[in-house]
Amino acid sequence: MTPVLVVGAGLTGLFAAALAGRRGARVTLLTEGRGGLEISHGCIDVLASPLSSVELARLPATHPYQLAGVERIHHALDLFREIVAEQHLEYRGSADSTLSLPTAAGHTRSTMLAPLAQSAGALGSQEPFHLAALDHFRDFAADYAAARLRRSGMPVDGVVRLPMPNLPLNRDLYSTDLARLFDQPAWRSETLRAWRPRLAGVRRLGLPAVLGLAHSESARLKAEEHLGIRLFEIPTLPPSVPGLRLERALRHAAFAAGVRLIEGAHAVGLVEATYPGSVSGVVSQTAGGPRPYRADAVILATGGLLHGGLLARARGTVQESVFDLPVAHTSERDDWTADSPFATQPYASFGVRVGGGFRPVDMQARPLFDNLFAAGGLLAGCDRSREGSRQGIDLVSAACAVEEALR
Amino acid sequence: MSQPALSADLCLKCNICTAACPVAAATDLFPGPKAVGPQAQRYRHPSLPLPDLSVGWCSGCGTCSRVCPHGVAVAEINIQAKARLARETGIPLRDQVISRPDLLGRFGTPLAPLANLALSAMPVRWLMERIIKIHRHAPMPAFRTRTFRSLRRAELLSKPDPDVGTGVIRVAYFHGCGTNYYEPELGGMALDVLQRLGCEVVVPPQGCCGLPLQSNGLFDAARAYAARNIRSLSAFARANYHIVGTSTSCVLSLKHDYRTILGIQSEEADLLAENAYDFFEFLALYLDDRLEALPLRQVEARALYHPPCQLKAHGVGTPALAVLQRIPGLTVDLSDSECCGVAGTYGLKAEKYAVARTVGSGLFDQAADGRYDFLISDSETCRWWMAGHARLPVLHPLEVLVRALG
Amino acid sequence: MTSLSTQLLVLGGGATGLGIAWDACLRGLKVVLVEQGDIGQGTSGRYHGLLHSGGRYVVSDPASARDCAAENLVLRRLARHTIEDTGGFFAAAPGDPPDFAERWREGCLHAGVPATEISVAEACRREPLLNTQLQRVFAVQDASLDSFDLLHALVEAIRSAGGEVRLRHRVTGIVRESDRIRGATLQPPDGTQPVTIHAEMVVNATGPWARQTAALAGVDIPMALGKGTMVAMATRVVNTIVNRLKPPADGDIIVPVGTVAVLGTTDVPVEDPTDLRIQPWEIDLLLAEAERLIPGIADRRPLRAWAGVRPLFRPTQTAGETRQMPRAHLILDHAASDGLPGMISVIGGKLTTFRLMAEQTVDQVCRALHVESACRTKDVPLDPPRRARYYALPDRLRHLEHVRPRSLPPEVICECESVTREQIVRALASADTAELDDIRRDLRVGMGPCQAGFCAYRTAALAESRAGADLGWLESFLEERWRGTRPLAWGTQLRQMELTRRLYVELMAMRHEPEAS
Repeated sequence: MTPVLVVGAGLTGLFAAALAGRRGARVTLLTEGRGGLEISHGCIDVLASPLSSVELARLPATHPYQLAGVERIHHALDLFREIVAEQHLEYRGSADSTLSLPTAAGHTRSTMLAPLAQSAGALGSQEPFHLAALDHFRDFAADYAAARLRRSGMPVDGVVRLPMPNLPLNRDLYSTDLARLFDQPAWRSETLRAWRPRLAGVRRLGLPAVLGLAHSESARLKAEEHLGIRLFEIPTLPPSVPGLRLERALRHAAFAAGVRLIEGAHAVGLVEATYPGSVSGVVSQTAGGPRPYRADAVILATGGLLHGGLLARARGTVQESVFDLPVAHTSERDDWTADSPFATQPYASFGVRVGGGFRPVDMQARPLFDNLFAAGGLLAGCDRSREGSRQGIDLVSAACAVEEALR
Repeated sequence: MSQPALSADLCLKCNICTAACPVAAATDLFPGPKAVGPQAQRYRHPSLPLPDLSVGWCSGCGTCSRVCPHGVAVAEINIQAKARLARETGIPLRDQVISRPDLLGRFGTPLAPLANLALSAMPVRWLMERIIKIHRHAPMPAFRTRTFRSLRRAELLSKPDPDVGTGVIRVAYFHGCGTNYYEPELGGMALDVLQRLGCEVVVPPQGCCGLPLQSNGLFDAARAYAARNIRSLSAFARANYHIVGTSTSCVLSLKHDYRTILGIQSEEADLLAENAYDFFEFLALYLDDRLEALPLRQVEARALYHPPCQLKAHGVGTPALAVLQRIPGLTVDLSDSECCGVAGTYGLKAEKYAVARTVGSGLFDQAADGRYDFLISDSETCRWWMAGHARLPVLHPLEVLVRALG
Repeated sequence: MTSLSTQLLVLGGGATGLGIAWDACLRGLKVVLVEQGDIGQGTSGRYHGLLHSGGRYVVSDPASARDCAAENLVLRRLARHTIEDTGGFFAAAPGDPPDFAERWREGCLHAGVPATEISVAEACRREPLLNTQLQRVFAVQDASLDSFDLLHALVEAIRSAGGEVRLRHRVTGIVRESDRIRGATLQPPDGTQPVTIHAEMVVNATGPWARQTAALAGVDIPMALGKGTMVAMATRVVNTIVNRLKPPADGDIIVPVGTVAVLGTTDVPVEDPTDLRIQPWEIDLLLAEAERLIPGIADRRPLRAWAGVRPLFRPTQTAGETRQMPRAHLILDHAASDGLPGMISVIGGKLTTFRLMAEQTVDQVCRALHVESACRTKDVPLDPPRRARYYALPDRLRHLEHVRPRSLPPEVICECESVTREQIVRALASADTAELDDIRRDLRVGMGPCQAGFCAYRTAALAESRAGADLGWLESFLEERWRGTRPLAWGTQLRQMELTRRLYVELMAMRHEPEAS
């Protein structure tokens, strides 16, 4: 059993660990905290348009999708669906088309794979729907979203105000609070009973994504049954319930594959190499001192600037946080951001450059270490927000890194 | 401004800690660790009274710090704020009492049979709840007639022996109040297993780690306890003894809380922290080869392992699980829950009991699945609480290992 | 074109203009004040929050120092609820000129500025993050003043006293009839009809725009505009104002205001009153100078940067550093200086002495209008604003924890600054609100660490139903918040900006410019 170390337990790291574990490796997954999934929409954004060789050819040669190739992209997405399906989480969609989904601000976003609860809200069919405004829930702007959707011609028939009886009132509730309440049959029944009278004439209803956390599939189905209408979910402000459901499924998949998870681990450096050009593992800084974790292969899935894989300093340098690998970036701090948050951001493309083998490379494109791999948000090359490629890059690069690491 | 308070700067308000907090999931009385931690910290002025009472609902489990991806010491901020709150509102007699398990043990041990009888009598517990506000259903461990230290006098050592360089791994065992007064056999097992694995094991002078005092806001008293332990144990560390404990919460205090929460800065405190280990962490780091060489007997059983919050806070994962998984015949499932609910002394309190019970309900439901012969957990307060609610035996992973070692 | 008449028309709704209007109202004059933007959009809303003890000016400008010392006490009485009595230190860092301290101390004595030397150890005991290597420390009566609170209180006081305040009215011309100023023409918002306001006296209190305004009347006021940049740190690293004990220079003050600490300031000559661009060297300088007083501060999290333009009277045509120009205010009666009665311009000054400037100005106005009336502003305290706006550090949180009724959840919309749904809805209902940024100024929505990452969405939700609201308000608000964090886009603040992008570009799929309504 090849010992493999994965650093970072976001979408990239969890997926890589699960894949490696299923292929028989002895995987240790080190992570400092929990990350991107819990603030995301829970969908798999691959590209804004359907995947094809033509689309790929438009991307720069160093783009992770180009390095992977169309076949490996498809394969990674298939593996993803398989793994989460085993954990009773179904994702819809396919690589030859995209789903167009309404957002909580009334815009439409394009994604490739969406959980069933969200895909039911796809706008392609032009079927009319209502949006639900939940009493006392500040994190879903139903009226605002409806107004904006209507302005862009979407078939929103109206907004229904739904009461929330028996709501704990001592503090404001987040999506996770409502989702946990929806997991409870008694509370759910009482609430749905209060909703029924308001839903006359409603056939299809978009709700914020709060229909259950641990038992979300049954919560949603039971709700549809009870109300006699079709429901779909719209993800909203963090904490993201769809993101948490996905994270949970991947964690279980990882444990089922024998992955050993170490949380609260702050990876700070290299275990001494056994021979030049290789790494032996990673040192984690704990309260009780440094702890070494050795492996035959190390996959860095530490994320980008947001979650600490990259550290952007005041003096204009950007550092990779575990091995101090070279980072592609510009050194004029003022140039890192664009004028508008909605424009392409230069900093979003900063990261570690990898070659076809998903090993970090030097300026001459030579791998720095033969057994060190990098994947996910840590990689240089594109603005994932603008491209609509975040989760796709995570999954594809993770799968490729594992494939290379276990070769 | 303390180090944790300074880390409030790093908070992005992402709510990851709020989503993971077991107490916020159990009650709306607690606004969540982000709200009472880095968010409220901006409102706390050193010379004005604290504006918020809701921080009192934090149980100190540490889940928030562990899941924060940005380096905010959320739990530490909350624990310090709670201590300030306790000082401002006054610390009740109950908290003064339950935060001193060493004194309770010292008085309870000579009176063990009587004390245990009283504590198991519902009228007595009912009265305790009325007068001192310890919930009548809060599981309490039974006093023993002999302390661990009195049973293993041979290993007691008042001053470290100089290291003569034989290469033998030297261990100074930290037992904690739990082992000393309530579970002396566990301490015996620790010494025996370490000796069997070739270590030189001694029991150094030590006192209560002070964690219950810290959790109840009695920082000065906690610091006094800490100072004594640091003085004694750092001397052993300097002489190349590894300080190893079976109470994972006590060891976390030695490693982390003394410096980060109580703010003790000294070379001795560093020396102790860098040489303190949870039992199975120590086995994995230094004795794994020797352990692998020992034959393990069948233990035909199905068990549910719940790693305590304080173990996860060490940042070394769950080292006992790897060992348990090697035991033939034993099927170990991993608990889905972040926290069993007791959080040290939190669940004992009359006003907190219901919340603590709700926090642990997921774990108890999983345990009630009916398929488990016993539960496993590394912290004694968790074990007693879990045993009381799940109505199954709850063992330290060391106890399971000992069964397999025969 | 609609028109109306009044006695006194005040142009400019900063502290100067509002102070003048308030003073005039209390003296029984009929007053209309017009402001081109929202309350606090000009220089008064862009300052560092320091209610001067006068210590800053004792050596360079003793007259100003004396005025500050006196007005400091007056404002503490009159605008109590806008002021936090933080106290202040003047501290000499290692390497600062050692002889300055004695000159300074003498200057304080002569100017009547109370100053007490304290030991460095004592100063560090009170402020644990202070540099333990400081040379000398003096305690003074600086205080922290929330200018938004002050400006709002003045607006309400004016309206209560029968005066009129019109926001978002831009001056398009000064009415000049036979060598007399008779009023002004104004363009109200939303393309409504232009307005002419006839007045017996016009006061030009338009701050950095004073010269442009006077030019509309055909007169020139020689002015120098000095842009100053400030940085707010995410937390109150100190609870006492800390000044550098050396001749006034860039980056020599740290002011705790509300939940943040403001580092100030620089002094960059600009030509245009709207030139508020911030250069990276300014940020670096502010952090480097603050580092001398608080070691480690440069590694902490700066939250936001902004700039304000100082309007200074420049009597001669010499070019030169604006910092050395007297900060004393100038009241220019155009009857005397330009042979053009009917208009008085007020230039310069500090927010600390606004009431005094106003008193002197209105004295002149009354003389010109032959009105016998004494100033009453020293005797009439400003009411706390009728709208619940908590300035003091723990008050907002205390209200949520202890005071509010329990039949509803707290409905906190901006969690960073504890702003509730009720407060926002009330602000939305006000006619003074034309965009989300107005609510931000009013209530501090979006001014905390997440810079509206969460509350922008929630606030837009509340705004949706309000008449005249634009769906594009959300984009505009986010753009505005982004602009002020760009100069600090590294470390934690860059992470915060990226989080905002993840939410609005990926989750909400806002990828384009706001559509026209």
